[in-house]
Amino acid sequence: MSAEEIVRLEGVTKVYHMGKVEVQALRGVNLSVKRGEFIAILGPSGSGKSTLLNMMGCLDKPTSGKVFIEGTDTSRLNDNELAALRREKIGFVFQQFNLIHTLNALENVALPMLFAGIRRTERMKRASELLQKVGLSHRVYHKPMELSGGEQQRVAIARALANNPEIIVADEPTGNVDTDAGNVIMGIFERLNSEERRTIILVTHDFDIAARAHRKLRMTDGALL
Amino acid sequence: MGIFTLALGDLRERKARSALTMLGVAVGIAAIVALMSIGFGLKYSVTSQLTEMADTIMVMPGRFTQGRGYVMLGGFNERDLHDVKRISGVREAAAMFSAVKDVEHRRERKLFEVVGIDPKETHAVFGKIVKEEEGRGLRESDHKTCVVGHSIAKDLFVHEIGVNDRIKIAGRTFRVVGILEKQGGFRSEVDTQIYITKRDAKEIIGDEISMIFVRVRNIEDAERIADEIEERIDENHKIEDFTQALTMGSFIRQLEELFKILQAVLLAIASISLIVASIGIMNTMLMSVMERTHEIGVMKAIGARNRDILTIFVLESGIISVIGGILGMLIGVIGANVISVGLGSAFGIEIPAILHAEVLLGGLAVAVITGVLSGVYPAMKAARMSPVEAVRYE
Ligand SMILES: Nc1ncnc2c1ncn2[C@@H]1O[C@H](COP(=O)(O)OP(=O)(O)OP(=O)(O)O)[C@@H](O)[C@H]1O
Ligand SMILES: [Mg+2]
Repeated sequence: MSAEEIVRLEGVTKVYHMGKVEVQALRGVNLSVKRGEFIAILGPSGSGKSTLLNMMGCLDKPTSGKVFIEGTDTSRLNDNELAALRREKIGFVFQQFNLIHTLNALENVALPMLFAGIRRTERMKRASELLQKVGLSHRVYHKPMELSGGEQQRVAIARALANNPEIIVADEPTGNVDTDAGNVIMGIFERLNSEERRTIILVTHDFDIAARAHRKLRMTDGALL
Repeated sequence: MGIFTLALGDLRERKARSALTMLGVAVGIAAIVALMSIGFGLKYSVTSQLTEMADTIMVMPGRFTQGRGYVMLGGFNERDLHDVKRISGVREAAAMFSAVKDVEHRRERKLFEVVGIDPKETHAVFGKIVKEEEGRGLRESDHKTCVVGHSIAKDLFVHEIGVNDRIKIAGRTFRVVGILEKQGGFRSEVDTQIYITKRDAKEIIGDEISMIFVRVRNIEDAERIADEIEERIDENHKIEDFTQALTMGSFIRQLEELFKILQAVLLAIASISLIVASIGIMNTMLMSVMERTHEIGVMKAIGARNRDILTIFVLESGIISVIGGILGMLIGVIGANVISVGLGSAFGIEIPAILHAEVLLGGLAVAVITGVLSGVYPAMKAARMSPVEAVRYE
């Protein structure tokens, strides 16, 4: 395993059981992601893109095969260690934004730092810096309901950056926003990749978006081409 | 913003449901506080009247039998009284002659207990615990006079009985010289008695003494003196177990045992409402966990540990129960006083609401413990959710 490798999948399969029916969502995926790469995953609906991303984001466990994050075999980690990995090493961005609607923008961004045990003043300082970085310093005290889709997704990106993770995993981050907002969001991802050398893995249906990545992967029927 | 804000967020969002759950806890705690306070008040009002007479011994002919209560066996005589007075440690002794007789006032006839006393003796034994409201007490020199209990004078005849009225007791005319103050509580029987002198009693009731009241010099000697009294009188009558000498002290102790049982029963009854409240909390928390499944998934996805999720939900039920508990304490205090006043005006017995700090703090502690325990299961359910499954849940 080279020192440059940050994520590695070895023969990852995922089988869902719907009653008696078995759904093969992933059929033995092998993948190596290098530090600082910008990868786009394309593929038809139901091909297993989200399932694959959940494996890389350590939200789910494979039925068989292994997922390594920075060389660590995640199948050997307990719930707490997996939580720490999600908190410190990976920033997850959802298509549906998934902000906590009772908290304002600042509090949402500060939340992963709360779980990391960072002091309040430090949390708030860093959260407002991150909101500034995604261009939302004028929306700090807005609740998610009071923000546009594009703004909500930028808050979600700021939240993903809270504990300064090296890997950003995004599942159709532009899927629920218009083209202009999508361009702003992609601009942020590009800067995070080029200026801060963060590893970006995103899923998209949009070829224009995918064209901005360094490497494009195609998925069909649970396998990478 | 901290974990606390996260726990509060949901409570604020669902104000009506949170408030109703808190109310459930409040009612449970209020029931405990109110019932316990009234229980303590009842105990106080009964035992405080009795402790005034802690140095007295009640001597009765007869015995307690299983199933049939107290059985009277004839009566005492003057020699018994004389012997009792001579026992060392006895300060005073007073005899009472009592029987139920018909009493006539303005052509209305009713049955009442008529009690014959020696005014001097009685005063020596009881002092002035029972006072007259109108007129005066009986005197040694009185002849065919009586003092009437409060209820008989004021309530039980169509026409009220006043001082200097003439009433007929067992067909003989007596002049009323005094009317007693209302007693209520443990001495309420006095309210329905008529007192006459020992001399007059011999004529209508007879020679048999129905009860002797003894006052001792030292309370510590009461048990010994009681034993001696029983022995002496039994010997006079040559009947074993003829006499029962009951010290007020042992009576008070028996009552206190009884009150412990009463308190336990009250606590058990009040606890039922607490169990209901706890089910209420659990229900609310399970609903909250279900409704927030998606949010739990998101928090786990961004790095929350199981412990963080557990804390949020246990804290949430903790907040419900603390607020409910404090509310319950307040309602309980108010409720206890309302019950106290209500009992006072409905039955004429004065039962104060006695608030012990232990009951209040205990109530709050029970609320918090119940709340946290009822929150643990739903919280564990939340903590153990798989992040993906939870995020997918809409
Ligand atoms: N929790 C689940 N239970 C059962 N089947 C599931 C579950 N999650 C995904 N699947 C199935 O696994 C397959 C892959 O799903 P996945 O969500 O990864 O597809 P996708 O490529 O992300 O699709 P889309 O582009 O529509 O988001 C699908 O057939 C889906 O129905
Ligand atoms: Mg998907």
